[in-house]
Amino acid sequence: MSASPPPETPATPKPGLWQPELDELRLRESHAKRMGGADKVRRQHDAGRLTVRERIEKLADPGSFHEVGAIAGKAEYDAQGRLLELTPSNCVWGRATMDGRRVVLVGDDFTVRGGSADATIREKPLMAERMAHEFRMPIVRVIEGSGGGGSVKTIETTGRANLPGGVGGTGLFLYTTLNLSAVPVVGLGLGSVAGLGAARLASTHYSVMTKSSAMFVAGPPVVSRLGAPVTKEELGGWETQCKAGAVDHAVDTEEEAFACARRFLSYLPSSVHEVSPILPCEDDPGRRDEALMNAIPRERRRVYQMRPIIECVVDKGSFFEMGKMFGRSLITGLARLDGRAVAVMASDPFFYGGSWTADTCQKVVRFIDLAETFHLPVVYLMDCPGFMVGLEAERSATIRHGVRAMAAMNQATIPWCTIVIRNAFGVAGAAHQPAGRLSLRYAWLSARWGSLPLEGGIEAAYRADLDAAEDPAAKLAEIEDRLNLLRSPFRTAETFWVEEIIDPRETRPLLCDFARMADPLRQPTPSRLQMRP
Amino acid sequence: MAEITVVAELTSAVWKIEAGPGTSVSAGDTIVILESMKMEIPVLAPSDGTVTAILVAEGDQITEGQAVAKLEA
Repeated sequence: MSASPPPETPATPKPGLWQPELDELRLRESHAKRMGGADKVRRQHDAGRLTVRERIEKLADPGSFHEVGAIAGKAEYDAQGRLLELTPSNCVWGRATMDGRRVVLVGDDFTVRGGSADATIREKPLMAERMAHEFRMPIVRVIEGSGGGGSVKTIETTGRANLPGGVGGTGLFLYTTLNLSAVPVVGLGLGSVAGLGAARLASTHYSVMTKSSAMFVAGPPVVSRLGAPVTKEELGGWETQCKAGAVDHAVDTEEEAFACARRFLSYLPSSVHEVSPILPCEDDPGRRDEALMNAIPRERRRVYQMRPIIECVVDKGSFFEMGKMFGRSLITGLARLDGRAVAVMASDPFFYGGSWTADTCQKVVRFIDLAETFHLPVVYLMDCPGFMVGLEAERSATIRHGVRAMAAMNQATIPWCTIVIRNAFGVAGAAHQPAGRLSLRYAWLSARWGSLPLEGGIEAAYRADLDAAEDPAAKLAEIEDRLNLLRSPFRTAETFWVEEIIDPRETRPLLCDFARMADPLRQPTPSRLQMRP
Repeated sequence: MAEITVVAELTSAVWKIEAGPGTSVSAGDTIVILESMKMEIPVLAPSDGTVTAILVAEGDQITEGQAVAKLEA
């Protein structure tokens, strides 16, 4: 792409008193729009990536971007003090609208010094974060390179080494933390993202990378010096980062990443001082889907697909999954019920039967914190045989991550509704309603529960009987039959240990009713919770 | 014709081989059934094709990401 022409100025009948200054302003702006120069822009395009200005153009509603600080950068002058060249800062930011809603957009310009700190002007990204915070607007970070982070070259350009944060230099970290409790924060990783760039991408409510991108604390040149050489993709490609849970989602094109950012924001209020808009709902809130009657196999060891069940009960086409590749025994995402945005958690029995692993528990904490921060009611479609068991589970501190997930649930104040689809066992079986608070709960006809599954549970509880038996196997079967007779969910309902067993086809009408019941509880007051990434 | 490696998505035990070498399968058919947390978890064919090799045996303990079968698609 050739350098952009200078912006058109409205035709003025005659030059005004300050015309020379206006001309200089426009000249400087035109320098800034060339970014790192035609060669660098061509290299960016040849690698299949858009420039920061093209990205912002595509993210923002047409013509809505109002830039701040475009002409900040490094200038060269001739002997007479006339401007020769202006290389802009590699942070481009301003405000815009996305789907009509005001947002702050801040992007790294990789064509200028690879996005690194020596060309950033640290006050620019900082002011972007502050504007989002103080004017209560969502912020979308478009990240490439080291995201304004350091380069060892800075040692030579400044003549000294930098103590990270230095004196009074922690402002960016202050706001990247504060904003998580104030406004929706989206990060898009588009290219190689390292160091501070990786930190800015991870410190978000929702992050997306393109599949050709990579994110890492430090890239292959640094890592290879410490051991075996690795490729960019192995080290920080989408499969590594999405499975690790450091990035939420990966897409093929930058345009898809922009669409994800828009879609995510559509479910959330602009800040914690508001509640999500209620949209008109075209899907019948009373719709009863026959498929739900046959969704769960009668054979208890057989698994089933949970995603079609979610699609069946929420407003048609409204489910937006987040973090699909991480903590996979639990599906999390945003959806709508009768036009109201809700946070949906649903077990996936294809992964450890739906058991909560340490990763799953971390996913739960972050997701519930998101819902709590933005006043979204939670719907949990539960099929959880417990926390994950076994040596690997113990080594990854599943129980501590588990009680942390339960604490997140118990500290939340948002309205809650759980549908027990099938299993609810053990301590994790209790992790389906906020402790001490009235929430709604329904059990499907396929639901079953207990402190411990019978398999293995009998051996533990009836050890003495089994040891005394002539035929321990027959005794085991006999005890199992006896207990099975007693554990019908109807017996539980008889004693009001569960309040409602429902026809699964009633799920959508009941969930939509829950969403409407939650209306008066959705308070636009900031949560006491200070969310962490 | 492309060879596809089918991997297990979770640490588990191999419970049953459903489609041995030479079996032609359609996308979504079960090749191997794993067992985890007392549940039978199928490993599904990612596309239509013929199973050329099963790389695990019934009873094997396997880890997430381990190759369980090869498919000629």
